[in-house]
Amino acid sequence: MSTFDLDSLLLLSSILLPLIVGAFLLFGAFLNKATRCWISALGFGWPLTVAVLLACFFEENIGAYNYELCLPTGLQSIGIYLHLGLNAVSMPLFLLAGIVGFSAGLYAIFSQVDRPHLYLALLLFMLSGLLGTFASVDVFFFYFFHEFALIPTFIMIGIWGGSNRRSVALQMTIYLTLGAMLSLLGLIALYIASGAQSFSLPELRSYLAANPLSQTVQNNVYGLLLFGFGILVSLFPFHSWAPKGYASAPTGAAMLHAGVLKKFGLYGLLQLGWPLLPLGAVHWLPWIIWLALANILIIGLITIAQRDLKLMVGYSSVMHMGYAFLGIATFSVVGAGGVLLLILAHGLSVALLFLLSTCIYQRSLTLDMQQMGGLATKAPVLAAFFIAATMASIGLPGFGNFWGEFTIFVALAEGVSTRWVVFPAAIGIIIAAIYGLRASANIFFGQPSSGFTERLQSGAIRDLELHEKLPATILIIALVVLGIFPRVVSDAANDELSASYSLSSESRFPEILLESPINKIQLEETHK
Amino acid sequence: MTATQTLIALLLTPLVTATFIALFMRRLGAIASYFSVTASGLICIFSVLAIGHFDGSTIAVSWDWLRFGTFEVQIGFLFDSIAATMLTMVAFVGFLIHIFSLGYMQSDTAKARFFGGLSIFMFSMLGIILADNLIMIFVFWELVGFSSYMLIGHYLDTEEAKEASKKAFIVNRIGDLGFLVGIVYAYWHFGTVNLAQLEALVTAQPDLINATIAAFLMCGFIGKSAQFPLHVWLPDAMAGPTPVSALIHAATMVAAGVYFLIRIVFLFPVEVLDFISYLGATVAVYAGFCAYAQHDIKKILAYSTLSQLGYMAAAFGLGYPGVAFFHLITHAFFKALLFLGAGSVIHGCHHEQNIFKMGGLIKRMPVTSITFAIGLMALCGVYGMSGFYSKDAILIASGLTNTPIFVLLIIGAFLTAGYMGRLFWIAFLGTPNSEAASHAKESPLTLLLPLVILAMLSITGGLLQLWPDSLGGLIRYDVDHLHHAEQYDAMHYFVLKLGTAAWIIGLLAALFFYRVGASEDRLKKNFLPIFQFLHAKLWFDEIYNFYVANVQQRVARLLNFLDLLLIEGLLIRGSAGAISLLGMFARSIHVGNLHSYVYWFLAGMLLLWLACFGLF
Repeated sequence: MSTFDLDSLLLLSSILLPLIVGAFLLFGAFLNKATRCWISALGFGWPLTVAVLLACFFEENIGAYNYELCLPTGLQSIGIYLHLGLNAVSMPLFLLAGIVGFSAGLYAIFSQVDRPHLYLALLLFMLSGLLGTFASVDVFFFYFFHEFALIPTFIMIGIWGGSNRRSVALQMTIYLTLGAMLSLLGLIALYIASGAQSFSLPELRSYLAANPLSQTVQNNVYGLLLFGFGILVSLFPFHSWAPKGYASAPTGAAMLHAGVLKKFGLYGLLQLGWPLLPLGAVHWLPWIIWLALANILIIGLITIAQRDLKLMVGYSSVMHMGYAFLGIATFSVVGAGGVLLLILAHGLSVALLFLLSTCIYQRSLTLDMQQMGGLATKAPVLAAFFIAATMASIGLPGFGNFWGEFTIFVALAEGVSTRWVVFPAAIGIIIAAIYGLRASANIFFGQPSSGFTERLQSGAIRDLELHEKLPATILIIALVVLGIFPRVVSDAANDELSASYSLSSESRFPEILLESPINKIQLEETHK
Repeated sequence: MTATQTLIALLLTPLVTATFIALFMRRLGAIASYFSVTASGLICIFSVLAIGHFDGSTIAVSWDWLRFGTFEVQIGFLFDSIAATMLTMVAFVGFLIHIFSLGYMQSDTAKARFFGGLSIFMFSMLGIILADNLIMIFVFWELVGFSSYMLIGHYLDTEEAKEASKKAFIVNRIGDLGFLVGIVYAYWHFGTVNLAQLEALVTAQPDLINATIAAFLMCGFIGKSAQFPLHVWLPDAMAGPTPVSALIHAATMVAAGVYFLIRIVFLFPVEVLDFISYLGATVAVYAGFCAYAQHDIKKILAYSTLSQLGYMAAAFGLGYPGVAFFHLITHAFFKALLFLGAGSVIHGCHHEQNIFKMGGLIKRMPVTSITFAIGLMALCGVYGMSGFYSKDAILIASGLTNTPIFVLLIIGAFLTAGYMGRLFWIAFLGTPNSEAASHAKESPLTLLLPLVILAMLSITGGLLQLWPDSLGGLIRYDVDHLHHAEQYDAMHYFVLKLGTAAWIIGLLAALFFYRVGASEDRLKKNFLPIFQFLHAKLWFDEIYNFYVANVQQRVARLLNFLDLLLIEGLLIRGSAGAISLLGMFARSIHVGNLHSYVYWFLAGMLLLWLACFGLF
C-alpha cells in the first residue's frame, strides 16, 4: 500500500521539517539571533521550495492523487491512514500555504517580538498543520492537521496579541472549537452513515456515488458540516470572532489564519459537500444563499463603518467569504472553480493587507484611519503596495480576486434558481470599492489630520524596508500571476472538478443545469 | 510582422513600459518620461502598421484565458474598421498629449508616477479598443477606471484630488455593477460574449435581443461616459493634471463609453435606444446650462465634454451609430486641443484657473490663443470646421427622426456657443485681471507643437474624403445613409441655417452680456438667483452627499451597533453569561457544609423516588 517515491517523501518532508525546526526552536532560547534566523528560514523556505517543485512536476491525473503516500497509523481497523497526496484542487492550496507561510515567516523572522524563538516555533507548527491539511487525502487527518494548526493561533493571540487579547483569545477559542466540534461530528456522522469503513476521500466518494445516503441523513450531515465549517469560515452570523481576532492577532498568525487556515472550511465544503451529499446540499441551499448575502451586504456595510484599519480588513475578509459561500451554493463546476480561485486570491490579498496594516501601524502609531492622512508623501512605496492590495481585494482585473468573483457571478447566473442572486451579490463590488478607497484615501492622500501632522513631519516615518518589501512582493507577484494567467490553476482544476461535480449534478439534480436558450448549433460552430 | 503580432506588440508596449517605470525608474522621472513618450510613439507606429495589414476584412484572433466547465473566457482581438478608426485617434491624440505632458509636467516631483500612469492608461484603452468579447472589454474597462483613479489623484497631498479620485472610481463602479450583471446574464442568454458571434447570432435570430440585458450593459456606458445620473464624477475629475483631463476625461476614456455602445449596437432594442437618445439630449442641455456657473476654465470644458457626450449618445440612440462615432472622433481632436490650450494657459498663468483672473491673453500667448479659438470654432460648429460636419450630421439625423430631441440639441448648440464665447471673450481678450495673467508668457515648443497639430486636425478632421477607405467603414455608411434620406435637402439647409445662427448668436450674446476681459461674472452680479440655480446643478452632489452621510453611513453604523449588541452581546455574551450563571449555581451548592449536602441528597432521593413512581 505504501510507496516511497522521492516526490512523496518530499511532500512528507515539507510537513515534517517545519515541525522539527519548530520543536527545536521551542527549546532554542539559547540560540543567537543569526542561527535562529537561518534555522527558521529553513523551516519556512523548505515547504515553499517543495510546493513549487511539486507544482512544476504535477501530472494531471483525474480522480487520483499525485505524490501519494499511505502510512498505517495503528487505526487501520477503522479505516484511518496517514494518507497524503495532492490533486489539482489541493495542489494550488498547498502552494498557497507555502507562499503565505514563507511570506509570514520571512516577516516574522525580522520582526521584533518578545521570545522570538517561541513565536517562530508556533508559526512553524501552524505552517506544518496547514500543509498537512491540504495534503491529506484522509478526511480524519484533514481534520487533525487543521486542529493542529488552530491551537498555535490561540496561543499566539494570548501571548502576543494586541489590546484586550485575553478575552479575544478566549472568544476565538470557544467559537472555533465549537465550529471544529460540529464539523468533527459531521465527519464522524458521515463515516458511520456511509458504512464505507474508510476515511479516505476517494473511497468515500466512490462508495457514496454507488450507495447514496437517504435524504434525511444527508440533510443532517450536510447541516453539521455547513455550520461547523461555516463557523470556521465566519459565515454570518457566526463571524464576530474574526475581525477582533485578526485585529488582535500578531501579524504572522493573522496572515496564516486569515490567508490560509480559514480556507479549510471552504475547501472542506468544496470537496465533501456537493460531491458526497448532493441532496443535503440542495436542502440547505436557501440557507447558504441568504446567509452568504448577509455576509456580503450586512458585513459589507459594517465594514464601511469601521475606523480601525485592522478591524476593517478583518470585516472585509468576512465579507468576501460571502462570495465563496455563494460559489459553493451553485453546485456547479463553474462555481466550484470560482471558489477555488477566490480562496487562493483572497488568501494572498488578505495576508498582504494584514502585513501592510502592521507596516502602517508601525509608522503612524495608530490604527484609526481618521487620525492619519498624507502618508503617501513620506512612504510612496508603502502606498503603492497598499493600494495594489486594496485593488486586488476589491476585485480589480489583473489580480486573481477578480476571476474568483467574476466566475462565481457567472456560476450564479447559470442556475435558474440562483439567477436573481447575481444582482444583490454584485452590489458588494460597490461596497468594497467604498471602504477600500476610503481607507486608501484617508491613510495616504490629502492633508494629515491635525494630530498626525507632527508625526508626519518628524522624519521618523520611513518607507518600506527590505524585510517588509520582500514578503509583500512575493504575495503581489502571486496575485498578479493568478490575475493574468488564471489557467495555471484553472486548467487542471477544471478537469478534476468536472469529474467530481458534473457527474453528480447530472445524475442527481438535473433541474440545476442551465436552461438558457443557447443556440446549440451556434455554440458548436464557435468551438470549431 | 503579421497582423496578429503587430496587435500584440501594440498592446504590450505600454504595459511593458509601465512595468519598467514602476520597477526601475521610480526616482528617474526624466528618463521615465522619455521612456513613456517613446512608447506612445511606438504605439503610433504599430497602429499604422496594423492598419497597413488591414484590407477591409476583419482580423479576429483569440486565445483561451480561463475555462471552468461551460464557462469560457477568451482574450483576443477584433480589428475592424471601427477599431482601426478608434485606434488611430487614440494613438495619435495620445502621442500628442504625451509630448505636451513632457513640457507641462517638467517640474513635477512625481513624474515617474505620472508617466507610468499614462502608459497604464494607454494599455487599458488599447485593450478596450481591440477586445473581441464583452468580458475582455470589462477587464480593460476596469483597468481604465483604475488608471483614471491614479491620475486624478496625482496631486495626492491635496484634499481635492483625494476626494475626486475616490469619487470617480466609486461612481464608475456603480455603472460597472450594471455592466457586470449585463455581461453575466448575456453569457447564459446568448451562450457567448464574443462580439462577432453575438452579431451573427442576433442577426440570425432577432428575437434573442433582450431589453433587460441591453439596459444592464448600458449602465457601463452611463458610468464611463458620465451621463445622468452618474455624471457627477467628471467635473471633479478636473483635479487631475491638465494633460490627463485632455487625454482621459475628454478625448478617449469618456468616449470609450460611446465606443462600447457602438461595438454592441446590435444588442439594443428600440426602447433602450430611445432611452439613450433622450438621456443624451437631456445631458447635452443640462451640462450646457451648468457651464455658465463655472469660473474654472477646466470645469467649463468638462461640462462641455458632458454636453458633447450627450450629443453622441443622442445620435447613437436615434439609430445612427456611425454619426455618433464621427462626432466622437472629431470631438476628440478639438476637445483635446481645447484642454491642452487650457493647460498651456494655466501653465502660462502660474496655475491660475479662474477665467475672471485672466484676460488679454491673446497678446501674451498668441499661438495658444489662436489654436484655442480654432478648437472653439470646431466645437461650436462653425462652417467648414470638423465639428461642423459631425454636429451637423447629428442635428440632421435628429431633425429627420425625432423632433423633441432635435429641439433639445439645437438649444444645446446655442448654449455651447454661449459658454464658449463667455470663456473666450473673458479669458483671452481685454486686459489682464490679475498679476499672474499680466506676466503670462507663451508656452515652450513642446506645449505648442501638439496644439498646432491638433488645430490642423480640428479643421480638417471632418472632411470624410480625407479618411482612408479602411477607416471610413461605419461612419461613411451612416453618413451616406443620412444623405440619401428623404427630405434630406430641406433638413440640411434648415439645420445649416439654424446651426450657423446658433454659433453666431451664441458668441455675440456672450460678447454683449459679459464684455471682453470682464473681471467679474455679470450673471452672478445682476442675476444672482439664476446663477445660484445653475451653480447648484440640480443639487445632484448635495443629494448624493446627503445619501452617503445620512443614509449609507448611518445604516452602516447602525448595523455595526446591532452587530456588536445582538450577535456579540446577546448571543455570545448571553450564552457565556448563562453558562457562568449555571457555574455560579453549581458553585453555590458546593459550600463544604455537611448539613446542606445532606439536604441536597434528600431532595435528590425524593426526586428519584417520584420519578420512579412515574409522577413525572
